[in-house]
Amino acid sequence: MRNMTQEELAEEVGVTRQTIIAIEKNKYVPSLELAFRITRVFNETIENVFQYQK
Amino acid sequence: MNYKQFKRIKVLIASFISAMVAIAVVFNNIILALAGVLIGLLFLFLVRRKTKAVLVDERIQNIGGRASRLTYVILTITVAFLSLVFILSGRRMGEANYETLGIILSYITLFSLALYSLSYKYFSKKYGETDDE
Repeated sequence: MRNMTQEELAEEVGVTRQTIIAIEKNKYVPSLELAFRITRVFNETIENVFQYQK
Repeated sequence: MNYKQFKRIKVLIASFISAMVAIAVVFNNIILALAGVLIGLLFLFLVRRKTKAVLVDERIQNIGGRASRLTYVILTITVAFLSLVFILSGRRMGEANYETLGIILSYITLFSLALYSLSYKYFSKKYGETDDE
């Protein structure tokens, strides 16, 4: 994965830094569109970045 | 302009509005208060347009939607309850003014429910619901 700050990732996917923090802490589930935008930044598949937990 | 700068300017604008309103209250001048609020809002609008940082995203919209819904539910129930109290107490005490107030509040409740239904239908259609479902 690429080394980048939360701020850089937020800027690249077009959200606030607080949203990235909330996703990392499992406090917010991103929309499918945002999830795809994040995975594109890392050149990964969606399953490698996000795990579905029941 | 980044997000931190935007936040700093927002605090300055809020301070300016508060100061203007306080001065207007001291001098008993409503025009000064309105001018202060309008100038502050105009500045805020201009600063928002100049800011390149993302200020609103899907999480913030989500939070706003939930907060609005909770506010709507609490407000509607409170107003409906108050209208009932005013109508019943007005009838019991023979106070026509209380009863009128209660009726006005009940109409406000009905208007709020109607508005909610209409906006729900509008957004429901906008986001894909069809009649044949």
